[in-house]
Amino acid sequence: MEVQSLLRGLHPLEIKVLLYFAPGDVLSAARLITELAYVEGQANQAFAWLVAKQLAAETSRSSRLVYEVTPLGVSWLEQGSPEERIVKLLREQGALAMPAICQAIGMEQKDAGTAYGKLAKEGVVTMDAEKRVSLLDAHKALRSRLLRQILARAQAEGGLLEEASLVPEQLALLAEVAKKRGAADAPFRVADRETVLWSLLPAAAEVTAVLRAQGVSGDELGAITQDILESGSWKNVSFRTYNISSRPARLLPGRHNPYVQFLDSVKDKLVSLGFQEFDGGLVETEFWNGDALFMPQFHAARDIHDVYYVADPQRAKSIEEPYLSRVAATHENGGNTGSRGWRYGFDRDFTKRLVLRSQGTVLSARQLPTAEVPGKYFGIARCFRYDKVDATHLSDFYQTEGIVLGEDVSLRTLLGFLEMFAVEVAGAKEVKYVPGYFPFTEPSVEVHIKHPVLGWFELGGAGIFRPEVTEPLGVTVPVLAWGIGIDRMALMALGLNDIRELFSYDIDSVRLRRAGLVPGQPAVSAGKKE
Amino acid sequence: MPKIDVNEELFFELLGEKLDAAALEALLPVAKAELDGWDQSGPAADRVIKIELNDTNRPDLWSTAGLARQLRSWKRGVAPSYDFFSTEGAPKPAGFAIRVDRSVEAVRPFLAAFVVSGKAIVDAMLRDVIQTQEKLCWNFGRKRRSVSMGLYRIDLIKWPVRYHAVRPDAASFAPLAMDEPMDLARILKEHPKGKEFGFILDGCAVYPLLSGADDRILSFPPIINSNDLGAVQVGDHDLLVEFTGSDILALALSANIVACDFADSGYAIKPVRVDYDFDTPLGRSVVFPYYFQVPATVDAGRVSKLLGDSISPELMQASLLRMGMVSELHGQYVRAMPPPYRNDFLHAVDLVEDVMIGRGMDSFLPQRPHDFTIGRLTPIEQLSRQAKDLFVGLGYQEMIYNYLGSRKDYLQRMNLGEEGVVRISNPMTENYEIVRPSILPCLLQSEAVSSKAPYPHRIFEAGKVAFLDGKANYGTLTRQRLGFLSAHPAADFNEAASLMSAALYFLGHDYAVAEADDPRFIAGRQATLLLRGQPVGIFGELHPAVLANWGITMPTVGGEIDLDAFLA
Repeated sequence: MEVQSLLRGLHPLEIKVLLYFAPGDVLSAARLITELAYVEGQANQAFAWLVAKQLAAETSRSSRLVYEVTPLGVSWLEQGSPEERIVKLLREQGALAMPAICQAIGMEQKDAGTAYGKLAKEGVVTMDAEKRVSLLDAHKALRSRLLRQILARAQAEGGLLEEASLVPEQLALLAEVAKKRGAADAPFRVADRETVLWSLLPAAAEVTAVLRAQGVSGDELGAITQDILESGSWKNVSFRTYNISSRPARLLPGRHNPYVQFLDSVKDKLVSLGFQEFDGGLVETEFWNGDALFMPQFHAARDIHDVYYVADPQRAKSIEEPYLSRVAATHENGGNTGSRGWRYGFDRDFTKRLVLRSQGTVLSARQLPTAEVPGKYFGIARCFRYDKVDATHLSDFYQTEGIVLGEDVSLRTLLGFLEMFAVEVAGAKEVKYVPGYFPFTEPSVEVHIKHPVLGWFELGGAGIFRPEVTEPLGVTVPVLAWGIGIDRMALMALGLNDIRELFSYDIDSVRLRRAGLVPGQPAVSAGKKE
Repeated sequence: MPKIDVNEELFFELLGEKLDAAALEALLPVAKAELDGWDQSGPAADRVIKIELNDTNRPDLWSTAGLARQLRSWKRGVAPSYDFFSTEGAPKPAGFAIRVDRSVEAVRPFLAAFVVSGKAIVDAMLRDVIQTQEKLCWNFGRKRRSVSMGLYRIDLIKWPVRYHAVRPDAASFAPLAMDEPMDLARILKEHPKGKEFGFILDGCAVYPLLSGADDRILSFPPIINSNDLGAVQVGDHDLLVEFTGSDILALALSANIVACDFADSGYAIKPVRVDYDFDTPLGRSVVFPYYFQVPATVDAGRVSKLLGDSISPELMQASLLRMGMVSELHGQYVRAMPPPYRNDFLHAVDLVEDVMIGRGMDSFLPQRPHDFTIGRLTPIEQLSRQAKDLFVGLGYQEMIYNYLGSRKDYLQRMNLGEEGVVRISNPMTENYEIVRPSILPCLLQSEAVSSKAPYPHRIFEAGKVAFLDGKANYGTLTRQRLGFLSAHPAADFNEAASLMSAALYFLGHDYAVAEADDPRFIAGRQATLLLRGQPVGIFGELHPAVLANWGITMPTVGGEIDLDAFLA
């Protein structure tokens, strides 16, 4: 059984080694290259795989120096080394000054200077009183000749010279011109190469025997090509078996964002409960952001909402009538709502002030003038707060809000809705209600749920809109207003604990994130990078 | 929302019973309060219960006595009653008088006061009254603008006291915590309280002053007390409590709240007569504490309808009693007398809530709604979902970003100027100063922080942007857009063009392209997308200068289309 599963995981490169060699044979990359016609990479790969399967083991390891021709070395061979080119130039044109030499052979002064120095030392060239260089004896350029020999031999032998194959004279020159690092400006790169010797282990014999018994040759069909299918050649060969447990390559699929998916699932849930979606602009007026919600322009209740002001323009051109006049009167003395009002002078300039929407309830108020009765509406609204950004606060975030209009809606129907949200949206098993406070609802309640993981927490706030909110906007039936906080559920559904992560810029953390989309259920597990 | 510290011993003494944490937590909601912390180590007399109060219209709950009073009423069904309140036409005899001079009318016109007597002030009570002063004057008194409060040792005061206004250099005294006399102008400049609250007197030619018959100064309202008459300590016996401000009803309410707190703790309250040189909404001569509230009336049928339960008028009355309110029945109407420490009945619905809390939240059972309505998404949401599905199918990862960002990211790095941008005038930091005018900078920021993620990077977001529009009533427009970005070694204009072609085909629109001249993209490798001849988007190769601004070294293409335009 073990051998069988081992066999299925064998690659043709391994199979051929197993079939060709026996345990005890001294093997090396060089031997596989000559005897099995592998390239070096294949030879190393076969060795590594066999070692991993405990069918082969290293027997010795030694290191040696090799000299590798660089692209510069190749170009010297083709176009001449700097020394050769200077000799050739001087032979053709006679004595020349150094700058003229540099210009003629397109060489930097520094390199030409080095080459001149070496030639002069050998007595090949000399410089006269006018600093002109002339040729003395071209035959003395032994150094260039020796370098050319070495380059030519290296080129012929695949670009690589083994240290052991070189005579002392050649080694002395290579020591001068070959570099270990930064070899781009040298003709040779010198490198340490390891020679690894290895052999098959006795256990390999068993595997080899099975391979022979099954007639496996290592030449079995790998990738199936169009050619193979068209020609029908597949009929005459057998198929190579693949290692099905090797780690698959990672795909980069197109995907929805898990947080957006979560928000969309809440929207779908609310639509299924009969709610129509509403939406609105990000820039609001103080009128809709606070005044229409019967929050007095001066009152501490407005301290709850620390609002961002638009710098320019600062004010809306106008506020919709008749709502402005009705709301102003309601603030001042109750208007026709039966309220005594807040009893102050309503500021009609302040009300036009432009702000970034600070609460989703704004959209509920905006919906009132055109709302149907009975009617249910909701929105997931981006809101902006003057908050220090940290693990639990963002400068902009979503609020989920809605309203229910009906002749007969009441506190008890409100509780009915809240219970529905708790169960359907949040997956809660236990729900409780306590009195709450919001400037725009009376009565007001908070709904708390017992979450299977988080324990008791506040799911949201709700209430019946004050007549001071609804009547100026033309609504005479009771309006239930609710808001639910879904961020904590979103964090848990996504396996996160920092709210900033919901809006992450990091592509891979978003790509790898898994979402538990069943309400109230945690993510399968936190996403792990592969 | 105010948070208060409550002395455990004093609180349970006032409540009349001792509760454990669970029982207290269960009871607090009737005051819309939450237990915020209760360290039960240390000696009982020093232990503090931390409580958060959610109702900004119930300042009477922001003290140990006030909170205990509401909880006690609710548990026992008994409304507290006090005998020291004057009412309209029935002033109590007052042994003390304060004269309010015409000179304060334009500065800080009103004053209310009473005297606390009967026993020496103890540490827990002094701490509590200082906390009440802070919470009342800060939250309810709008940072002392409409209400400020002062306490004085009565044995040092020569009656009658005078409330008047003088020029800033015409009076000097040693303010609290200072030995050296300073004139009023200097107090505003140099004393910490002067610096904190001086703004209230901005533009006033004269400043308010409270002084005794011997001209000794009690305080400089609403800034600071004197260091002698106004320095109250544990063990002091009789105290004058005074409130000044711009709203006489807010002052009367504040005085009533503090008077009831002292009375509940066993102190005697003695009335003070305040004589005005000018007319006030409560008349020229008012004896405080003064019951100014008017009865609140609600139709019993409305209560039942709004709460969704048939509740008898008698049960309503009993419920209101638990909220501290005595009421009468007049036919189908319930007429309730707000307690002297409450003034939060603007509308009949405010009584409805008190019935709800008084009866008990648990007595209301959730009811399934029966109105039939049709649910639906907005057209733009439906279109966005269609577009998002397309991009996911085309191999793109959906992203979601914040809408506020910096000038540097949204403009400078994008090679854009400031015109047309919605800017915040009161940003908390320069990191959140601009509403994004485009999705592209967000996508580029993603690319900038994700160079280690395996390529290709193909990302998009469907979301909102905002920008200025002079024609709009609000001077701005919000639009729903879809932005995309593709970054990998072979990203080029043709890829973006193919993507747009596929997306527009499946969104069901014929489109055309036109040469564009957008500094974010390379000239000649960018196109404006035209729908029915109108520009609705742009795409192309991001300019290397923009990529360099973001530190991106991978070829990148991107674009943005205006989804709202597809609905037009």
